[in-house]
Amino acid sequence: MSLYIKYFPVAVILQLIFSELLTFNGYQANIMLLYVILSSMPLGNTAQSTLYGFLVGLFTDFVLFSGIYVGASSLVFSICGFSASKISFNFAFRNFDIYWISFIHLGVLIYALFRYDFFFFNDLFLFFSNWFFVTYFTCFVGFIIIRIFNLKEKILNA
Amino acid sequence: MSRIQLIFQDYQEKITLGLCLLLSLILIFNNDSELIKNSKIKSLDTFSFLYKPFNWLDNQLFLNKKLEILSSENLRLSLENQVLKVHETENMRYREFLNFKKRDDFDFIGSDVISKGVSANMSSIIINRGSNDGILKHLPVLSSRGVVGKITAVSESSSEVQLISDVNFRLSVKIAPDEVEGILRWIGNDICEIVELKKISDIEIGDIVLTSNLSIYFPPNLPVGEVVSIFEKSDSSNRIVRMKLFSDLSKINQLFVILNEGIE
Repeated sequence: MSLYIKYFPVAVILQLIFSELLTFNGYQANIMLLYVILSSMPLGNTAQSTLYGFLVGLFTDFVLFSGIYVGASSLVFSICGFSASKISFNFAFRNFDIYWISFIHLGVLIYALFRYDFFFFNDLFLFFSNWFFVTYFTCFVGFIIIRIFNLKEKILNA
Repeated sequence: MSRIQLIFQDYQEKITLGLCLLLSLILIFNNDSELIKNSKIKSLDTFSFLYKPFNWLDNQLFLNKKLEILSSENLRLSLENQVLKVHETENMRYREFLNFKKRDDFDFIGSDVISKGVSANMSSIIINRGSNDGILKHLPVLSSRGVVGKITAVSESSSEVQLISDVNFRLSVKIAPDEVEGILRWIGNDICEIVELKKISDIEIGDIVLTSNLSIYFPPNLPVGEVVSIFEKSDSSNRIVRMKLFSDLSKINQLFVILNEGIE
């Protein structure tokens, strides 16, 4: 919980920076998703983690991402918050990077599904390009943020 | 402890997840409701101060580049304007001669984009102009190059713009010079499809697409895009045209809202 509270303003500021100033070909890194996954990993209480994910998702939907369905972020963050807090400590210690990268893939995949009006209604190529670009941009930024804030140690020692 | 409490404790995690997912899905399936739209706009109004420093910084960082682009654009338009002035005089003389209705200039209001989605293909954005600036629902929104969407929700100091890239967006357009009319819808990137065009119509690649006279919310002759390909359908009396939008939707920062329709 302390990570959730401590890093919330940082996550919001970083998301705004990446939304307004550091877009790549129009795509933005999803810092809020990264924040929910990393903050949920050390949380033992899965119900609490799911609820925080949901609330952060609501804030994101209403304030940060206008182009997304209201409810999409809360859905994605609830699932990611739930799954990330279910992790066993040993697994996280050995596979920290693989773990959060997998959840970024999952989270952005659900976003991409909703963006394309429910299951490939629009264009399969755009669906995949959206999924991959946002995922890998977020992962790239995630690696840098984790190194800068020394988050791996903080999360594993929390 | 009652049995319900025990069950809740056993399944606390799953119940919480289920409730969160249920609430999220209720929100998703009610996105078109006025309550959700107004709440979204109001929350953006309240938190718009968060975006201001970043918008300001964005403007400052790219100011020189923008000035350079605007200067060259200005020169090109000045030259074009000279030619158009001659045509305008001629056109006005003919209109007067034929007793046509007089046209007014459009009233534009400039605005900054304050919020975008996470993907390059957005369906809606938020601009920093609202009812205090005279913005109303359904007003057309343009970039410096052409039509980008229309206003779908308005609060006091911000508004939501439904972009052409929204799968539900439709626009009545015509293809110059023959003024063949059709319905435009977005298909991906900056490409749109125009359907319901008569097969006998004379359309060529490179023709300009403008808003038609049939649109309820858009005044006629606003630039939309350029024809890039034409398809014939053997089983139909219509043809399909694909066009590239003049506006790059992934790079829109400043937009203009047309406050009046410009026709008396």
